[in-house]
Amino acid sequence: MTAPREVAIVGGGLAGFTTAQELRKHGYDGRIRIIDPEGVPYDRPPLSKEYLDGSMPAEKLPFVPDSWYADNSVELVTERVAALLPAEGRLTLAGGTELSADTVVLALGGRARTLPVPGGDLPGLLYLRTKADADLLRTRMVPGARITIIGAGLIGAEVASTAAKAGATVTLVDPVPVPLAPICGAELAVRLHAMHAEHGVDVRCAMTTAIEADGPEYTVALNDGSRIVSDTVLVAVGIVPETGLATAAGLATDQGIVVDEAHRTSNPAVYAAGDVARIRHSDGTLLRRHEHWESAMHGGQAVAASIVGLDLPQHGAGWMWSDRYGVHVEAVGDMVNGTPIVRTVDGVPVTAFRMESDGRMIGACTIDGGTAIRAARRIIDRGIVVDPSKLADATVELKKLAR
Amino acid sequence: MTEPIKVATVGDIEDEEAIVVDGETNGTGADIAVFYSAGRYFAIDDTCTHEDASLADGWIEGEEVECPIHSARFSLCSGAALCLPASIPVRTHKVELRGDEIWLYPGVPVAEAVTEVTP
Repeated sequence: MTAPREVAIVGGGLAGFTTAQELRKHGYDGRIRIIDPEGVPYDRPPLSKEYLDGSMPAEKLPFVPDSWYADNSVELVTERVAALLPAEGRLTLAGGTELSADTVVLALGGRARTLPVPGGDLPGLLYLRTKADADLLRTRMVPGARITIIGAGLIGAEVASTAAKAGATVTLVDPVPVPLAPICGAELAVRLHAMHAEHGVDVRCAMTTAIEADGPEYTVALNDGSRIVSDTVLVAVGIVPETGLATAAGLATDQGIVVDEAHRTSNPAVYAAGDVARIRHSDGTLLRRHEHWESAMHGGQAVAASIVGLDLPQHGAGWMWSDRYGVHVEAVGDMVNGTPIVRTVDGVPVTAFRMESDGRMIGACTIDGGTAIRAARRIIDRGIVVDPSKLADATVELKKLAR
Repeated sequence: MTEPIKVATVGDIEDEEAIVVDGETNGTGADIAVFYSAGRYFAIDDTCTHEDASLADGWIEGEEVECPIHSARFSLCSGAALCLPASIPVRTHKVELRGDEIWLYPGVPVAEAVTEVTP
């Protein structure tokens, strides 16, 4: 296979941008285009937090200063891709223009999932995926405004916090009694979920059965028989991976674009990374898609390494963060399996670990834990076996245990 | 540029730890973190260029510090942002050992913000 000369990156989120950045770091000197109807690539985590509450200005959202693109000869094409023609080394833009590309990277992420209930397709319902979505949502978060948020996962919980702080009257609906337990472990997820009510959010543990619009008002009907009337409804029930272009181009998909460990799709000239990609190991195991920030960055790094023929970067336990009600939450690794060890301060759980029977740590989560997660991550990745009594003792600095 | 100031004595800053010299004390208006790691002293602006977080509270290892909030990494030598979410470098400041006294030159950048190895 000859070295690629024209890489087209479809999607300017973290995975797409990282691919471009890493290609240049590796000395790739061919053409790079990032094609995205939103233009300059920007970071999305602030959209439910600092950007939504106005504390972060729009100028801070882009990954890099604008001059970076000219300095690194990365072209931005502000358009939507309509079709991939990998066999011909081309792709077509929505406006009809054709671009040549011997290598394509699909980093399209996902679109917001809609609720499969009557009224779930009402045009006035809000979702949060883009800066424009955040701009619209912000205009609704005024003192006294009634906002119903369906889904208490990461985005729903963060928006609930931001909206409550803005003075809105917030109702948060989720059928799961303790959302985020699979990510944070039940020990801390209970404390995190309780923060909603402590901050005046009306939390409903129920299924949404229908949404009705009546003029400017929306009524959300729940399966406990109650009905919530509000001015704004935000639906935050996850994403559907954007596999349309891949499917149309004949690439293998399975609730995501299927890629190998090098992030190559079923067509060797096309790669995929980020929320949209689903890795199939060489032994056939199909992993779940990872919808976390760092995972998207790692995907972009892997794609760039694959394109230039370098060894794939090795990554340890996956990491995520969230911010709500003034606390910073971080988790690493597997908080589903293993035996919990919990650190408490004044009777309140602050850090939880998950341990294998052989004494190895497999996961950790902390609320305002400083460097605790960074220490835990090293303990996990290096297989360090730590005295469980020290793990449970909040006066022992985790950093010392990781050295 | 401000006058050099004595900020600590050898032994005050533990290995892979840092102290913060606040902006008023150092005269630049911005907090400066002085690190001891890999047997050397380094000084860079304390505030992460991505969001408001103190790098002195971060994970210090070798010649790098990792932000305690979003894990952006910076070079203690050059101030370079080594990974997202940060892309803008932090400023470096010269550090000098005078005997066992650690002196900071606020606002004096160094390509290699490193002093002599401690005895």
